Amino acid sequence: MVSLSSYLILSATLFAIGTLGFIIRRNALVVFMCVELMLNSVNIAFVAFARAHGNLDGEISVFFVMVVAAAEAAIGLAIVIALFRNIQSVETSDAVELKW
Amino acid sequence: MAIAFYILALLIIVSALGVISMKNPIHSAMCLIVTFLGVAGIFATLEAHFLATVQIIIYAGAIMVLVMFVIMLLNLKYEANTTLDYLFWIIGAVGCIAFVAITSQLFLNSMLVPLDYQAGSVGTVANIGRVLFTKYVFAFEAAGILIMAAIVGSIVVAKSVKGREE
Repeated sequence: MVSLSSYLILSATLFAIGTLGFIIRRNALVVFMCVELMLNSVNIAFVAFARAHGNLDGEISVFFVMVVAAAEAAIGLAIVIALFRNIQSVETSDAVELKW
Repeated sequence: MAIAFYILALLIIVSALGVISMKNPIHSAMCLIVTFLGVAGIFATLEAHFLATVQIIIYAGAIMVLVMFVIMLLNLKYEANTTLDYLFWIIGAVGCIAFVAITSQLFLNSMLVPLDYQAGSVGTVANIGRVLFTKYVFAFEAAGILIMAAIVGSIVVAKSVKGREE
């Protein structure tokens, strides 16, 4: 039987990888994917705790995290499209003007 | 069960490293699909059947198709200067390894309950649905409104602004 701490360490590792990508990458699409990685890592921790304590509230939380992630995906990608239309780039280092 | 966990954990970590290190966003997205499928497997080992299914349908299906559409729509060139910041890579990697080391020590040394501490209802579709439509029904309806607002908002944001300027 795998222990609860193994799941939590996996979750922390995935969160750290997502954070690393979020800090380092310049492409707005990849930054967006790294946010999804971090959300997934938190979901693993939620489900592991829900399993350990034998109630479904954690799993319901994961369901709502997925709903919010879907909404965030739609809005985030729309913003990327609007950004690309204005500056012909999705590099975060190119998006430096507030108004043009 | 243990061997499945370790294989899936390795798959998740390797493909997540692929997401942040691939130069082409399409390759990053492909790695991300593998990560999502691995997370779905992890959910399955935790007996969260409904969430494993939904993870594949929503994340590996809907969200990744959306990301792929946008990548192909924008016709991106390769990221020009991925490797310029070796210093950033090193500092970030050191910080993240430190984070993992500290939290791992914390998890291994703290008094966590075992994974099957309390027997309860497992996350089948019937059990999740029963809780979702009784205790959390208000949050469920609010989530519906949130999705509606997100759809309308994304159309407004992504709509061409040419008509307004002319």
